[in-house]
Amino acid sequence: MSEKDFQIDSGMLQFVPKGAYYEDQNEQIKSINDTWTSFFNYDRALFCLTTLLNGTGFSKGAMSHMLLSNPQAVTGREVIPAGLSFDYESKVIMYNLIKERTPRALKNLLMLAGKEGKSRVNNSRTRHLILEYIFHRGHHELENLAINYKGKLKTLIRHALGKQELNKILFGNEKLFMKRIGRYNENAQTVMCHIFNIPLRKDKVYARFEKIEQVQELNEAAKAGDVELFKKYMKGLPTLTVMGYRNTYKIPVELGSVYEKAKMGKRQALQMETAAKKAGTKIKVNYKNQDIYDLWKAFYHKVTVGNQSNIEEIAEAIRFKMKSKKKIDIGEVVIIIDASKSMQGSDTRPLHPFLTALSISSIISNVKDVLYVGGKIHPQTDGVIIPSGATDLWKGLIEAVLTGVKKIMVISDGYENSVKGLFDHVYKHFKKSGYDFELMHINPVMSADAKSGTVRKLTGEVTPLPVSNHKYLETEIVFNQMIENREIVKQLLIGKYKNLIGG
Amino acid sequence: MSSLFDILDFAGIGLGSVQSDDEMTVIPLVGGDRGDVASPSSLKFERTTGYGEMKFSNEDEKPAIVPSNMMIRGTGAQDHAMSGSGIVKANSSESFNNACCIEETQGGLLSATGNDEDILPIGLRKPLLDYGKRSEKGYSKLWHDIKGWLRGMNLGRRSAAHLRYFYDDKNINQALEEFAASFEPIENQIGAVIMFNGVPVGIEIMPSADHWDAYWQQLLRGCYGAELLRMKRLGKIAPSTLILPNIPEESSGEHVKEILIEFTNHLREEIIPILEQISVSDNRRIGSITSGLETRMITTDSGGGDVILQDSKPIYISLVL
Repeated sequence: MSEKDFQIDSGMLQFVPKGAYYEDQNEQIKSINDTWTSFFNYDRALFCLTTLLNGTGFSKGAMSHMLLSNPQAVTGREVIPAGLSFDYESKVIMYNLIKERTPRALKNLLMLAGKEGKSRVNNSRTRHLILEYIFHRGHHELENLAINYKGKLKTLIRHALGKQELNKILFGNEKLFMKRIGRYNENAQTVMCHIFNIPLRKDKVYARFEKIEQVQELNEAAKAGDVELFKKYMKGLPTLTVMGYRNTYKIPVELGSVYEKAKMGKRQALQMETAAKKAGTKIKVNYKNQDIYDLWKAFYHKVTVGNQSNIEEIAEAIRFKMKSKKKIDIGEVVIIIDASKSMQGSDTRPLHPFLTALSISSIISNVKDVLYVGGKIHPQTDGVIIPSGATDLWKGLIEAVLTGVKKIMVISDGYENSVKGLFDHVYKHFKKSGYDFELMHINPVMSADAKSGTVRKLTGEVTPLPVSNHKYLETEIVFNQMIENREIVKQLLIGKYKNLIGG
Repeated sequence: MSSLFDILDFAGIGLGSVQSDDEMTVIPLVGGDRGDVASPSSLKFERTTGYGEMKFSNEDEKPAIVPSNMMIRGTGAQDHAMSGSGIVKANSSESFNNACCIEETQGGLLSATGNDEDILPIGLRKPLLDYGKRSEKGYSKLWHDIKGWLRGMNLGRRSAAHLRYFYDDKNINQALEEFAASFEPIENQIGAVIMFNGVPVGIEIMPSADHWDAYWQQLLRGCYGAELLRMKRLGKIAPSTLILPNIPEESSGEHVKEILIEFTNHLREEIIPILEQISVSDNRRIGSITSGLETRMITTDSGGGDVILQDSKPIYISLVL
């Protein structure tokens, strides 16, 4: 495919299969599949390396599926780009799986087993990936995985090993066990027996996995309807596992008690904070572990509903994140944030554009100043800006230019109305008058499907970068340069590969 | 003959920064609450009790105002619109039996839920400024005007007086949503003067900022946006954008700021002499005084609308010009 015909945008890395009213899911998937195929055929190495950028788990899973469905080497003479190892694809795929949250990573692996709307792929690379992902981890991590995702692991292991090898391993072929699984974790036979409901042999010694034993006790207590025993064994087990047994066997244990005694993930803890409060209990949330967007969201939620509890801790966590978060450096920059009414978002995603703007400004380094245009101070706060009123962004542009910086980033939905066209008018004036600065317009869109050519512009001379999630900012910057500067982008991604994965 | 400006009593109302999107300019009107009436959330559309009859309820201790020419579109029922504004007494409900059906061949009565609310477009509000037509109890009284309003817009080969052909059209709907998103209410906004290509086409003032917050999208999207979109589709309005001020090349940042602030102030202030020139040809009371609220219908050279007074002071104004 010639470069002229090839079109690409970052939507391919941010795809989430949701049917909109005018485009059902099948149409969307067909369209995104075409994009992935075109990109794969255009440059396989670039295709693989872009998955190192932030994107949705679904996109990365589907792209990995495509890589694994097509042999990396057919003739043996394929050229590996300088700076990459021969097995770089497997390393990238494994890196992405490890970085992904576990449920999503498992779904991506299940794509290889013919689930999630994908065709089955079974080869040496997929077998290694599945078994390494599951078993190459510490004792406690492995048992947690086996407890939480027993059914999914069963499907994956059966797919990777095939029925024949699986049976041989389950019924005692140690040599084969070591070759396939023991190489990653020699104690995993106990976990295999738990996953496939095979009783442990009396004549053999197995490694102990205490939580697996605890789940088995919980299961027995639930079946027997023994509430006291159930309460005893639920302590420290995953909330969802406990809830599953509680609901299936109708065990009369209060919800608040489950929230308090069982264990939940860090994101789940923030999401469940309000539910737990309603149930009359408290969840200890470590705010400093949360994502910056989730923190801003929690902060604004508390401000708007007038809930002061933990608000200082959240504000402190935001400050902590802004200092410690891995930053994107585009040089010294002044950021203009559109705080007008339209940045309030929709009923389903309240404040999303504004929260995205705040999150982006939190992950940019070397910021000389942040200028808010529009908005008002929330009356019950000491200076918290909430989106309100009209958009006169031209005032922010003048102030930013007057600081003398060479880079100005404006984060706006592009709905300039006071007066429409003045931003462009002022921008052109400064450019014509010889002011030396580069303007970048980030449009914090509601949907990842937004394309750069379709979102609102503030000036005809700057194409906006649509960003639906602050995590994708770097991705957007890379994709924006993909066609014009293909080799530079490839080198940048190889650098990122070395940085993240090594040689 | 008195000036519109004198009758409306703009005391206590200020002008906000001008907002514009191509041919439409909105000058926000800001000020404190003007009337002691029910909050907009207390007013609910209940149902159509018969063809040409719209029933609203008010859960508040104070009387509520139904905005002029409010239209309700539902599914599987005949869509309706009010012939003017309405007043619903405190803690009660009120049926308005001079309403208009706006979906000619659809049967069925509207219920309280699952409806879209908008305000009729300018072109369909004007025929209802005829007092005889407004007060007539004839559900079909607007069908002829609706057919005329839809004519030429190529919304399929359908010829019935179904106003929803327009609002349900996918492209039109998207354009209206985009259009409404181009304008934003500002703090303490209670109304707006709306202009097409520099000519005033509407004045809307609500009793409070809460009322404006509740109804501004219905006005800008359903009424003024719809009319502008129709005019553009039919080629009845010249494409236009504001002519922006010249900025001399050597101007410093500070100087640019001064030039543009002067420009936006001028845009805002030039509306006052325009309003002063609009004369009122008729000003009559509609119905009796209800809960201390008096409804008057004003007619100007090119249009008119409703003004509701409380203690002789206008607290609600909705005029198409």
